[in-house]
Parts: sequence; structure tokens; C-alpha cells
Amino acid sequence: MTPAVSQVLADLAGRVARNAAPNIPVAERAGELGLSALLLALAAEMWDGAAEILVLENAELRVLLAKGAAVWRDDSRRRWLEALAGGRDESLRLSALQGANNELKVALIALHAQLEGQDDPESRRLESEVWRALAAASARRRLSGSPV
Amino acid sequence: MEEPELVQRLGAYIAARMPQARDVAVTEVARITGGASRQTYRFTLVWSEAGEARRRGLILRRDPADSLIDTERRVEFEAYRAFHGGDVPVPEMLWLEEGDAALGSPFFVAEEIAGFQAGTGPLWTAPYLDSLPALGRRKWTILGQIARADPVALGLAKVLPATTADGVWRRELDHWEGVLDADETEPLPIIRAAIRWLRAHPPPPAQKVAVVHGDYRTGNFLYDTEGGIHGILDWEMCHLGDPLEDLGWSFNPVWSFGREHPGGLLPRDEAIAAWEAASGLSAPPEALKWWELFACVKGQAIWVSSAKTWLDGANRDPILVYPAWALINAQDRGALKVMGHL
Repeated sequence: MTPAVSQVLADLAGRVARNAAPNIPVAERAGELGLSALLLALAAEMWDGAAEILVLENAELRVLLAKGAAVWRDDSRRRWLEALAGGRDESLRLSALQGANNELKVALIALHAQLEGQDDPESRRLESEVWRALAAASARRRLSGSPV
Repeated sequence: MEEPELVQRLGAYIAARMPQARDVAVTEVARITGGASRQTYRFTLVWSEAGEARRRGLILRRDPADSLIDTERRVEFEAYRAFHGGDVPVPEMLWLEEGDAALGSPFFVAEEIAGFQAGTGPLWTAPYLDSLPALGRRKWTILGQIARADPVALGLAKVLPATTADGVWRRELDHWEGVLDADETEPLPIIRAAIRWLRAHPPPPAQKVAVVHGDYRTGNFLYDTEGGIHGILDWEMCHLGDPLEDLGWSFNPVWSFGREHPGGLLPRDEAIAAWEAASGLSAPPEALKWWELFACVKGQAIWVSSAKTWLDGANRDPILVYPAWALINAQDRGALKVMGHL
């Protein structure tokens, strides 16, 4: 969720207050408040499940990275994945969970690219697992009005 | 700039370009909301000429402080002007100003094509529902006409950067990957995998170097209740390239708006048939798949840039948050779908 919900809500608060002034042109006010309402609805839908989605996703990513460490033949890369796989979410603040998620996804991208270049059965199996995890993560993040 | 000052300065600008007119005034100004790359206003110009009172509905498109899409105003203006009066319906362009002196930022003024709908909001309800197949056939026929057009004959080869049939895919992919590199605020494993696939499986050379609209999707045209299209809009990403790029963009899954068919309008094979008939070109499945996946990368780059623009703070328009929240995950799912992983 970028920009962060908390940042956007703070901005919308100021915007709604500004549109309460009597001298705002009607069409402009309608446009701004309509968009603000749309964003508030999205925030409401995302907010309740946001921490759970990140906790689940981070746990899945750590499992994948641990499996990746077992097939990546480069020592420094293997140690990098093992270190990330051994981590845990110490805080449930969204910003902390998102920070960990970003770090894990950087490693996943590197692992995914590596797997594509390795032609052994274990790499193929793990690559399929990566795709399934990515699809599952996108399904968890899917909003009710999503076009896909 | 506050609206009264905008009205006064716009009136003075137009009056200086209509020496035959007297009592020129800008009236009935209304901002059209929704565009993230330009500020758009509808207004009525009134004046007297040869003793007769005149009025005309016009559109002002002005650059905001920080736009969602960084493009040259002249590209958009010249694209509209090139197609005006031909098979592809577009509004008439009147004046282009590329400097900041007149209104504080570049802008152009065009005729208003009044009485029709734009955007997708009304499309999925009566009285438009019955006309969706006809609208789809018209949509992809016009896209085929854009592909068929000769950029040299239109004068656009002098305005748009040149490219070659075999190098166009790399230029486009390099550009939008560069946008992602510069603007992404969180890692994107699905889109990065899509980019790797695109580089590993390049498409065949373009059948021709054509005019590419760049944002040809349902909602970016003016339509009626009978399936007619009266103006193709939003040419700011127009460029020369592979005509399959526009077809792929029109099939981007996010532009189905959650409905069954591409664009929410027409079965895929019928859309391709309409495009092929009008363009005189073919849409080989593998080449089209490449451009559809490319469309997912390009779309994601635009949504990510939207978030970055908002975060940078120069433009805090809420329209910039909407694509970041509503479309980034949807675009990921679109890429998964095109790659067969959904």
C-alpha cells in the first residue's frame, strides 16, 4: 500500500476541510470530494486486513527463501537468503512489516531470476512454487472492485 | 493560479489571436475532473464579429505542476491536428502555447465535442449496455485506422521521434523499465519477472512503423448510446512504433474493468478481426502476447509513477493515489493472467 494509508488519510483530512469553505467552485468541490470518498472506501477495505496480509506474506517469503538457499550454488547469495529466511517480524506496525516485506521481495526477485537460469528439477519445482506464491499473494491483496 | 485570473488571462490570450473579433470573453468555466496528466477545463467563448454575437464551446488542457505522464504538449497537439478531418474522429485543435508566460504552464485550446459521454462510468448501465458490441467494433475499427495511417503523410514523422521496425520493442521496454527503476517505491516481483520474459522472447519486427496512440482504451473516447464514437482523446503518449503496441494496450486486463471481454466490450477474436480488417495488418498470437505483457509493464510503470509523484509532494491531487491503490495489484494480476499463472 503505497502511498501509506496513514499519509493519505492525513492529506484527505486537510482536503475535506478546505472544501468546506464556501468559495470553492461547485464542480471542483464535487470532483475533489468524490475522489476523496473513493479513496476513503479503498482505505476502509484495505485497512482491516493490511497487517495480516503482510505477516502471512512475509512468512511465505521466508519459507521460499530458505528453499532457495538450498539450491543457490553461490555461497554469498546462499548466506544472504539464509539470513533473511531466519528473520521474523518483531513489530506489527504496518511500516515495519512493509519494510521487511520490501527486503524479502528484493531477495525473491533475485532468487526467481536465478531459478530461471538453473535447469535442474529442484529449481523448476521451486520456480513453480514461487509463481504459485505470487499468485496467492495477489489474490489476498485483491480489492472487491478490482478489474482483474 | 486562481480561476478568475485564469479566465482573465485566457480571454486576453485568445483575443490577441482573433483580431477580427470584439468583446472576447471566457465564460461558463468548469474544471473536468479525472485526468491525472493534464488539467482540463470546459468553457464557452463569446465574442462579436461583423456585428453578430458568436459563441463556441471550447476545451483548455493545461499542464499541472507535476504530471502523471511526462510528455511534450506539442506531441499531443500535433497528433490531434494530424488526424482531424480524416477517418479517425478527433476534436479540432485551435491554439498551442508551449511557454509559461500566458497561463503559468503550457496548454492548448481545442473545440469541445459536446453531447457525448467519456469515461467508463455510464457504460455498464442502460442505455449503453445494448450498444457495447457495436461500440467495441467501432473502437477497434478506429484503432485499425490509426494503425493504417501513414505517419509521413500525416506530418507526424517530423514531430515524433524516429524509430525502426526491428528496434521499437527494445526502445519501449527500455523506457518503461527505466521509469520503474526510477519511480518504484516497493519491489515488484511479478513485473520484474515479466520484464525478464519479454527480454528473453523478443517479438518479430513491426509490420510497419505506425502512429501509436499510446493510451487507447475504453473510456478515452467520446461515445453515444448507439455505439458511435465521436472523438478519440488523450493522445499525450502518442509516438511512432509497432501498431501491435496499441492493440496489446487495449487488451491489457485492467482495461476490461472486471467484465468478460477486452475493454469490457467485445470478444477478443471479434476485436482482433475488426482491427485487422481496418488496419490491413495481422495480429500474430505470439507477437500480440508480447505486446499485451508489455502493456502490463507499461501500465505498472505509470501506476508506480503516480504513487511516486504523490509521495514527492509536488502534486498531491488524490487522483494520483487512486491508480496506486486500485491498480498496482490489479496490474500484477493482469501480468499473471497474460503469462498463464493466474
